[in-house]
Amino acid sequence: MGAVTDDEVIRKRLLIDGDGAGDDRRINVLLKSFTKWCNSGSPEDGFTQYQRMLGTLAQCEFSMGKTLLVYDMNLREMENYEKIYTDIEQSITSAHEKISECKKEIMRAKRIRKNRQEYDALAKVIQQHPDRHETLKQLEALDKELQQLSHIKENVEDKLELRKKQFHVLLSTIQELQQTLENDEKSENEDPQESPMDN
Amino acid sequence: MGPVELLHMSVFSQSFSPCGRFLAAGNNYGEIAVFSLSSALSPEASEISQKPILTFTAHEGPVFSLLSTDTHLLSAGNGEISAWSWTELTKRNTKAVWTRRPQYKSSLEIPEINAMVINPRENSLAVGGGDNNIHIMDLESGVFKSVLQGHSDYVHCLSIREREGEILSGGEDGTVRIWDYRTGQTVHSIEVYKYEDCARPQYGKWISCLTTDAEWMLCGGGPSLSLWHLRSLSPTSVFPLSGCQRQAAFYQDLILSVGEGQFVSHCLMSGEVKSLIPCTPPSLNTLAINTNSTEHRVLTVGGSSDQIDVFTNLSYRAFSLSF
Repeated sequence: MGAVTDDEVIRKRLLIDGDGAGDDRRINVLLKSFTKWCNSGSPEDGFTQYQRMLGTLAQCEFSMGKTLLVYDMNLREMENYEKIYTDIEQSITSAHEKISECKKEIMRAKRIRKNRQEYDALAKVIQQHPDRHETLKQLEALDKELQQLSHIKENVEDKLELRKKQFHVLLSTIQELQQTLENDEKSENEDPQESPMDN
Repeated sequence: MGPVELLHMSVFSQSFSPCGRFLAAGNNYGEIAVFSLSSALSPEASEISQKPILTFTAHEGPVFSLLSTDTHLLSAGNGEISAWSWTELTKRNTKAVWTRRPQYKSSLEIPEINAMVINPRENSLAVGGGDNNIHIMDLESGVFKSVLQGHSDYVHCLSIREREGEILSGGEDGTVRIWDYRTGQTVHSIEVYKYEDCARPQYGKWISCLTTDAEWMLCGGGPSLSLWHLRSLSPTSVFPLSGCQRQAAFYQDLILSVGEGQFVSHCLMSGEVKSLIPCTPPSLNTLAINTNSTEHRVLTVGGSSDQIDVFTNLSYRAFSLSF
């Protein structure tokens, strides 16, 4: 039981903390070599051991510096990603707004187009009718003609009236003369009977 | 519903619910199917979501016209008008709230109702059908207030201009009549087939599609689909579409039109045909745009097939709902 869990623990530690196992080992080795160096006898041995310890210490410092830098880098990457994320969100919202603006524009343009087409359709019909100036001119000319003709008509009627009256006068005079002549004839026929009495 | 019946099915009318999440479609067997648009348009839509959530037989004859008010779905079939509550329909309860029949003169033949339109100002419903008249019913009391008589043949389609207080009707006799609904008199009568540019004598003179938008009117059928300016009562553009158009609509700056032909035509007001978008039914009867909802703003077309095509983007067919 203990062996299995130990294996698991070791496996986990190795998986999670790959290089860390090396670092851990190095620190233990350093401590051991330190105690050995304190207990060592000869100065040359001590010197080499001292050099070796300095080397291991330098290695530990180096790996620590490296992990600190990596940590910094991760923090800055996170910030960068956050910034990109907010930028993209903003551009999405602005794109949405632009889309709705464009849709409104389309509606406006469609309305304008519809109005233009209605206008064109009506204009086509209107074109088919003749020009107003021309019709007015024609109307004026016709009016003048009408006036002239009515003028002439009046003159002719006047003349006719006058002639009628004159004829009337003439005819009535003739009739009167005829009457007088008839009367005279009648009185002449009666006269020879009366004349001996008169003379 | 066996495969033979599905083959012979025609969808004649459609209507969106006031919330915009459901579509009701009526077919020639007298059935109405309610589809859930929110599940059909959702990202996890499947085969089942393209089937109706509810199908029921509403009338004995074909359902030629469907109309939605704020709370109810009105359906016209077999000469009668039935009202169904949308909330009840979504709960799969198919009991009609009321069923009424206009007073027809002859009791032998029941004329069909071809078109219905609502007048929101007076809260009344105008129905036009096979008896050549337009009956106006008050929605609150259910009483048929008046009859607009004048057409000499049956009325195919109705449209309303609220601001001017006019009802327009197009009929088999080839006239588009403009009525003042208060006096019940015909204000204008336009005989479309008499205009040379629009007339197509090889198809006849009947008007089957009529729609208005402020000062403009689209009408078509036997004569070509044409755009009219209502103030001057003159045709401004004629659209060179080959078949007879059965329904048209103004949408933004386009004119959408369906009829004979396996496509939805997109036209511009100047008279040119911008594009023809193909769809499943070989000939189309009805076109509807869901203006009640912003997230489910789709165009749906139905015709002589059991499939109803749904367009999420006007340029192509997204998928089809089937009866």
